[in-house]
Amino acid sequence: MIKNYIKIAWRSLKTNRLFSAVNILGLALGLATTLLLFLFILHERSFDSMYAKKDRIYRVLLHTTEEGIETWAQVPSALSPQLTEHIPSAQQSGRLLKNDYGGNAFIKAGDNILTESKLFWIDPSILDMFDVNILSGMGAKALTKPNTILLSKSTAKRYFGSENPLGKTLTVDNRNTFEVKGIFEDFSEHSSLQFNAVVPIMMRQEAKHPSWGNASFETFVMLNSDTGNLNDIDQKLQNIIDSNVEKEQQWYTFSLQPLEQIHLQSSAYTDSYLENYGDISQIKNLTILGILILIIACINYMNLITARSQKKAKDVGVNKTLGASRTQLILRFYVETGLITAIAMILGGLFTILILPSFNNIVNRNLEASSLFSLQIFVFLGFIWLVTTLISGSYPALYLSRFSPKDALKPTSNKGIMASFIRKGLVVVQFSASVVLIVSVLVVRQQLEFVQNKNLGFNPEQVIAISTTAVPDVATNHALVNAFKKLPNVSLISRAQGYPTVSVSLNSIYKPNSDVGMSVNTNLAEHNIVDILQLKLLAGQRLPSHKQDGDSLVEVLINKTALDFLGYTPEEAIGKKVEANLGNNSYIYGVVDDFNFASLHKPVGAYAFHNTVTKGNYNYLLVRFKNQNLATTVSEFERTFKSIATTSAFQYAFVDKNVEHLYQKEQQMAKVSLLFSILAIIVACLGLFALAAYMAEQRQKEIGVRKVFGASVPKIVQLLSIDFMKLVLISFAISFPLALYIMNQWLQDFAYRVTISWKVFLITGCLVLLITFITVSYQAIKAAIANPINSLRTE
Amino acid sequence: MKNKLLSLNIASKTVNLGSHKIALLDKIDLQVHEGEFISLMGPSGSGKSTLLNCIGMLDRFTDGGYTFLGEPVHSMKEKNRSRLYKEYIGFVFQAYHLIDELTVYENIETPLLYKNIKSSERKAMVADMLDRFNIVGKKDLFPMQLSGGQQQLVGIARALIGKPKLILADEPTGNLNSKQSDEIMELFAQLNEEGVTIIQATHSESNAAYGSRIINLLDGKIV
Ligand SMILES: Nc1ncnc2c1ncn2[C@@H]1O[C@H](COP(=O)(O)OP(=O)(O)O)[C@@H](O)[C@H]1O
Ligand SMILES: [Mg+2]
Repeated sequence: MIKNYIKIAWRSLKTNRLFSAVNILGLALGLATTLLLFLFILHERSFDSMYAKKDRIYRVLLHTTEEGIETWAQVPSALSPQLTEHIPSAQQSGRLLKNDYGGNAFIKAGDNILTESKLFWIDPSILDMFDVNILSGMGAKALTKPNTILLSKSTAKRYFGSENPLGKTLTVDNRNTFEVKGIFEDFSEHSSLQFNAVVPIMMRQEAKHPSWGNASFETFVMLNSDTGNLNDIDQKLQNIIDSNVEKEQQWYTFSLQPLEQIHLQSSAYTDSYLENYGDISQIKNLTILGILILIIACINYMNLITARSQKKAKDVGVNKTLGASRTQLILRFYVETGLITAIAMILGGLFTILILPSFNNIVNRNLEASSLFSLQIFVFLGFIWLVTTLISGSYPALYLSRFSPKDALKPTSNKGIMASFIRKGLVVVQFSASVVLIVSVLVVRQQLEFVQNKNLGFNPEQVIAISTTAVPDVATNHALVNAFKKLPNVSLISRAQGYPTVSVSLNSIYKPNSDVGMSVNTNLAEHNIVDILQLKLLAGQRLPSHKQDGDSLVEVLINKTALDFLGYTPEEAIGKKVEANLGNNSYIYGVVDDFNFASLHKPVGAYAFHNTVTKGNYNYLLVRFKNQNLATTVSEFERTFKSIATTSAFQYAFVDKNVEHLYQKEQQMAKVSLLFSILAIIVACLGLFALAAYMAEQRQKEIGVRKVFGASVPKIVQLLSIDFMKLVLISFAISFPLALYIMNQWLQDFAYRVTISWKVFLITGCLVLLITFITVSYQAIKAAIANPINSLRTE
Repeated sequence: MKNKLLSLNIASKTVNLGSHKIALLDKIDLQVHEGEFISLMGPSGSGKSTLLNCIGMLDRFTDGGYTFLGEPVHSMKEKNRSRLYKEYIGFVFQAYHLIDELTVYENIETPLLYKNIKSSERKAMVADMLDRFNIVGKKDLFPMQLSGGQQQLVGIARALIGKPKLILADEPTGNLNSKQSDEIMELFAQLNEEGVTIIQATHSESNAAYGSRIINLLDGKIV
């Protein structure tokens, strides 16, 4: 019987070529997107799942209790040893510190000078917790001694080529020498932890003399397998704080984050050394998008079926008079749908493979086509096949099969009206979804443009930041500054601890004679910093150009936000003493207007430049240069740098590039929403195209009559298009408010944002109307220029 | 003798069926004067509909000459032909071909809409027509709610509303019973009396008898 049904279905596919092609193509596109997203989500969720003790490992989070509560993924160095001591269920704990608080390390291995972006100072226990696989040499034990280093397999190859790395020595940042004691397996791509080289944290002063102040250590703890071990863990963490830090000094609390949440639920946390975080909200958005497109595709199918329902209904009638039961008919319709979805599925799989490279590019991942051939995917496909078949086939199977033969064979009854009502409703839904997508594309683009063109309060163009952390000594550092000053291409130069887009030190600033504090970013810098960044000086002066050695006087430039917090006018502030952990002798020397030193997601916080050499390092040489040609500038600077700091690698960043980088996520979102909107619109247009063809066919006789009685071609085209235009207009009424709401929600993520203008809707409206008109008018014109006698012939 | 309305001069229509050339109409010579009532007769497939379509300019002869009111239709552009038939010709079909979605009133009104006639004038013209055919009471009904005879009445009213000189009727009573059929024929006779030229295709001898001249077709030739 089923075989027979498949045969009938196959013939019906072949006779209705246009309908079948549109159905299959639309569904295939819908399925391809769903499949892509499923692959992506699988990939994202698989992060850190390879660790055997994954269910017991937690990362310690720090929540600031001062103004503007933030969550950091780093805690003070003193916490880790206390965890195992005071929490009975904590078996192991360990810290990790990326070289130079997140910076690159400069490696000299033999004659090789390299930049290492993933060198970590760690407690040996980290390797145990994560079951790091040692391929040769020693493991965690090696790190209990100073001056030892473990390398990943590929890193060892990078440093030493094909030579045996064990026993070799290398220097880091021209300061410390290490002996290679062991080689570990490369970390999986799906791991949040990514070590290339690890060295003992106990060599660091901060670890030898742990403090409760500097929260720069990412800390992991492994609990025992007792299920009740999370009970009042927060209280126990608080007890640790209470017994070590005085109440007034407590500016934080702690909590634990399970390892499995680290990849997807950390994007809001500042300060982490881990990379390639995913974003749960992105995944949610993508899931919604995928479902939307699948629905649009299913709607196409149902639409085209309802369009053919007159004919189908007759079919039902004939078959019922011949003795078919309702169940048999239901089964028949489902078989037909199932066949179509199965073909669409195969085609969708092919599309997925084709789209995968560009998709990878957009989401910045490396999904492989081969992962399509896994059990999980097949189960998923089976599930989607079932769901689409059930949804799409439900109308013909359940609605049409219900007709009694008498009703079904009657030429007109309310079934036609019903079908046309459903059809129209579905078209409205489809177009509403497309409109929402287009509006979101436009708004995301507008916001990005706004973000990129907003006056940031400083000028990031023509500024380069050259890393000097690897420069071995003060003399070389001075020589570098002098050499750069002499270059004709250089207009201004200043050493600095950091620059906008790069994190600097976080301290607290206090209101005069009070202990009300606020977080402040402090940046050790020099005289020219104001002019290099082109900041606006509101009062006072730039930092003094010279400072006597041993001078304990500290000059501070604060920004407007800090000034407002302190409650001064700019003029009043000058010369006032300031409490910002910058030493007892610090005074306000100047006030600069606010500038966006972090992304526009956040409002501007308090910021201060100062010249307390003991409160930070000059990590960068900031240079404002003249030459517009970036490539020659880089090579010129590199030559100069290498000629003086002969043993250091040249590491640089253009500040404007860094600024752009802050909106990577949004740029990705813009591309993703563009891709999906295009797909959605293609699928919707495919459906509309076939539907218009059907409508034209349905009204063939009417068109013929009208032509015979004098209607011109444009009149006929208008007649056929106007109905669709009406549907599109109705969909605007639904989708515009919806899109407005959704996109306003999205914009909430930005402290600085555009207001959505009516023009967005105007553009979207015109675009959709135009696309609709083009799609429909092709069929309409075809129908209108056909010779009426063909449709009016009575045989 | 009255004015000549149209003349066919060894007009033929051939179609290509694969490699074959088939003559649907073969060297037709025909003169029609204003005020004539012509009945086209012949078995099914003899070419009656094809001839009516060609005369009605919905289709073209492939050979020979066709002159309508002195104008050479055979060498005319599509646009001019459609201007001509819109102005002078009304069509009546066997299957009525009323528009299902429109009321009786709107069906009759349709040709006027395409002639850009003012709304007030349209109203008067349609009202006249409804009156004359005694279907005022049915004006708001849809075609499905009428009997076949009534539907054909509406079809004729629609054909007449544009005040055509020529009515082409392709088996106008083919779907009707004999009583309805006679009524329609009476109506045609009356219209003819009022000066409208009529060409009808029919199978029925009795219907043909209403006409003033009978033309017999066989395999596309006049016999
Ligand atoms: N476009 C066409 N192509 C091929 N054959 C046609 C075409 N139109 C009509 N015919 C054929 O021409 C013959 C005449 O048809 P028709 O004029 O409808 O005859 P009647 O109206 O007298 O029954 C028929 O055999 C029909 O099949
Ligand atoms: Mg015929």
